[in-house]
Amino acid sequence: MPKFTLNGQEISFEPGETVMQAAWREGIEIPHYCWHPGLSVAANCRMCLVQVESGRQMEMPQLVFDEDKGAYVPATKPKLQPACQLAAADGMVISSTNDEVKAAQAAVQEFLLLNHPVDCPICDQAGECKLQDYYYTHQATLKRKLTEPVHKPKGVRFGPTIVYDAERCIMCTRCIRVCDELAKDHVLDMRERGNKNEIVLAPGRELDHKYTLMTEHVCPVGALTSRDFRFKARVWFLKSGKGVCTGCATGCNTHVDYDPRYGKVYRLRPRDNPDVNKFWMCDDGMMTYMRHDTDRLDMPTEGRGQERRAIGEREALELAADKIRAVDPSELAFVLSAQSTTEDNLALVKLAEALGADRMYLAALGGWEGDDILRSDDNNPNRAGATHAAGDIELKSVGELLSDVQAGSVRGVVALGWATAESLKELAPLATLDSVVSLTSHVGALPAVAAVTIPVADIYELDGSFVNEKGISQSFETVLPPPVGIEPAWKAISDLGALLGVDVGFTDLDGLRQSLLESAEAAQ
Amino acid sequence: MEPADELLNEDAALELHTDPMRLNMGPSHPAMHGTIRMVLDLDGETLVNLDVQPGYLHRGFEKSCERGTWTQVFPYADRLNYVSPMLNNVGWSLAVEKLLQIEVPERCQYYRVILGELSRIADHFTCNGASAMELGAFTPFLWLLKVRDWVWDILERETGARMTHSFGRIGGMAAPPTATFKDDVRRVIPEVFKVVKETETMLIRNRIFLDRMQGVGVLTKEQALSYGCTGPVARSTGLPYDVRKDHPYLVYDRFDFDVPIGEDGDNWDRFMVRLEEIRQSVRIIEQAIEQMPDEGPINIDDPRITYPDKQAVYTTIEATIAHFKLVMEGLQVPKGEAYSFTEGGNGELGFYIVSDGSGTPYRVRVRPPCWYNLAASREMLLGGMIADIIPTFGSVNMIGGECDR
Repeated sequence: MPKFTLNGQEISFEPGETVMQAAWREGIEIPHYCWHPGLSVAANCRMCLVQVESGRQMEMPQLVFDEDKGAYVPATKPKLQPACQLAAADGMVISSTNDEVKAAQAAVQEFLLLNHPVDCPICDQAGECKLQDYYYTHQATLKRKLTEPVHKPKGVRFGPTIVYDAERCIMCTRCIRVCDELAKDHVLDMRERGNKNEIVLAPGRELDHKYTLMTEHVCPVGALTSRDFRFKARVWFLKSGKGVCTGCATGCNTHVDYDPRYGKVYRLRPRDNPDVNKFWMCDDGMMTYMRHDTDRLDMPTEGRGQERRAIGEREALELAADKIRAVDPSELAFVLSAQSTTEDNLALVKLAEALGADRMYLAALGGWEGDDILRSDDNNPNRAGATHAAGDIELKSVGELLSDVQAGSVRGVVALGWATAESLKELAPLATLDSVVSLTSHVGALPAVAAVTIPVADIYELDGSFVNEKGISQSFETVLPPPVGIEPAWKAISDLGALLGVDVGFTDLDGLRQSLLESAEAAQ
Repeated sequence: MEPADELLNEDAALELHTDPMRLNMGPSHPAMHGTIRMVLDLDGETLVNLDVQPGYLHRGFEKSCERGTWTQVFPYADRLNYVSPMLNNVGWSLAVEKLLQIEVPERCQYYRVILGELSRIADHFTCNGASAMELGAFTPFLWLLKVRDWVWDILERETGARMTHSFGRIGGMAAPPTATFKDDVRRVIPEVFKVVKETETMLIRNRIFLDRMQGVGVLTKEQALSYGCTGPVARSTGLPYDVRKDHPYLVYDRFDFDVPIGEDGDNWDRFMVRLEEIRQSVRIIEQAIEQMPDEGPINIDDPRITYPDKQAVYTTIEATIAHFKLVMEGLQVPKGEAYSFTEGGNGELGFYIVSDGSGTPYRVRVRPPCWYNLAASREMLLGGMIADIIPTFGSVNMIGGECDR
């Protein structure tokens, strides 16, 4: 492979790559604002200027102040080149840290801050802002300009999700390119020139495609802010866990940003994964974090409707065991969930097998539109995982479950999760059965018709894995501790098995994962 | 009745060994400063064995430093040797500045020297005054503390606090000297001389005081070396080691001053070495006051290290960012490690610091001079009388905050 030298370090590159790309792949950061690995090259921020020290040197004329003469005298300086646009060539010697480059970086940074408002204390980007980071590393001088900064519109509503602040904007055009290249919707553009530059919406339009939050995500400064996250948290208080989006079967990798002091999730951010989501996520996926603390089931309950009452954890498990015992296993239906982890689904399958039941159904969400960018047509993150967990047993739909109940062939139901496409009204036949047990993290139509509900851990509160539509199994780890007394579903199922006096065949998560591995190997 | 002189035959009395007795002294004992426990094995009143147990004031100073920024260590450093907190502030500043490879402006160096030496005077006043008080001489204690208060008045005017100043900053000081600083110092100097003279008048020909101090609590030069003693404790044995002289920092090499040493390493020598050091500190201060520039910056001119002017923080984005970075992430200290040492009130105060390149110390280790002096105190006490623990332990000047950290 051809190689070039950056700051004394050899970097190999594929022909056609730029210097920036090759360095980025090696994990070396050349300071930049407008360049993004997932977008086209704009080369307008000039922060990534580097000097090509090999080959013929290009010089630029300039005037330098001579102290002795007390006047400006002609001089030259080397012509620097933007690393993001500079095609790498074999044997090139490049510096991004020599004095010429440092002077250029400091100058670019000073220009960018020339009209910047004093907004850090009220800006959501503060703490993860490139202007701040690069000020410290590349500028470190105080203001020289004495005149009033140029004022531009602030707090402009771009759409239902995004607010724009033109004064903070450095005109890197990343947001424009995200709309053009990711969302294929040319809804943003730039108008005016120089320090009157600002980002504008296409006439008569709003920023309302499916990837608007990505404009905020790529914004290196605080110009675009998410209306959801605005003024909610300061980022230096947030910690980050690794998650997988529950929005659809694509299974985008996420950073789950939460505040450990309150145990509250504040936002999701895409986590780079070239095989799944590259650098991106869709708006609906970004907002799935909202489910975490909305409509949680935090107490075991007994009874339906007006008669529903909270009961103790042990009491609930014993009651559930009684309900299951009261029904012949051949008339007992097990409902897996396409919203739950593969491990939880497998635990339920194992309980069914231990009891000798073989009626399996799959509850899943519907009402969603896919696209050919990221969004899958299936808005359930783990349909493939649940199907795999069921093994040879064919999973039937909830619709079929309802007809089986009406036909009288099913007299008891054990359901995992809260998610169904069916409404409460449609699920009414289930409410006629005495033995309906629901293991769920949230309230919903399915738990509403259950005679006994047992609360279980939410998706951020457990170790587990999802299998996406491409068949890639992606595991994730506990981000937050579950509420006191609440455990993952597989654990509750294991306890239930012990109460029923059957051997479910696992005692911990490792045991479950081992049998998953074995069945996957057997399938090959 | 027996003749009175028979009872005074000490040699005969000493041969009458009693049953050994084990006695716990401290930590709740005024002479133990409330922080040291000594387990004494007594034969009559003679100490045949003792175990000095520190640790009752352990707060986890070093571990606490690993949580905040480099600047946030100053309040902790105040609480090491809390009798001369300014010396700790300066010591910490110099350690971090060594790792940053920066040097503060000249005016600040003089300022640090003067404030530090004032602290040293206060430190020695306290130790010597308390030593005298513990032997029943209450007057010198009150006189010394009266002048110490005047010294503290200066420190209060400069820093805003009498004891826990938190006044040091990496790359300078929290504030420039006040307009009256030099005059204030010049005004207190004669008072310092006067009270030292008065103390000498009261004590150095006092038979009771001499008997309790001379030949008591002896530490040999070899013992002092092997225990790693520094400061007045080491100098009283005849070791002329003073960091200010042997490894000059700040601008100490520009001053003419002597390092007083003792000969016997007993309580008396430790007392007299401290008394003389007060005079030497005043000499340093007098010279520093003359040499210190009246104009010029106190902090180094780098917004990555020094807080920008508050007005600029409110009105310009550059200063806002600098302020934000320094407050939220702390100043970034390059990866590496450094050992920096200064002459504290009790000897060599060392900071060994390790940085991982972030705004938070990776590891901070303090070499507290008291720790080594305290270890040597066993040698001083062994074989002596139980009553001698009080003057001897007093002259070691164990400061719990520094010793236990």
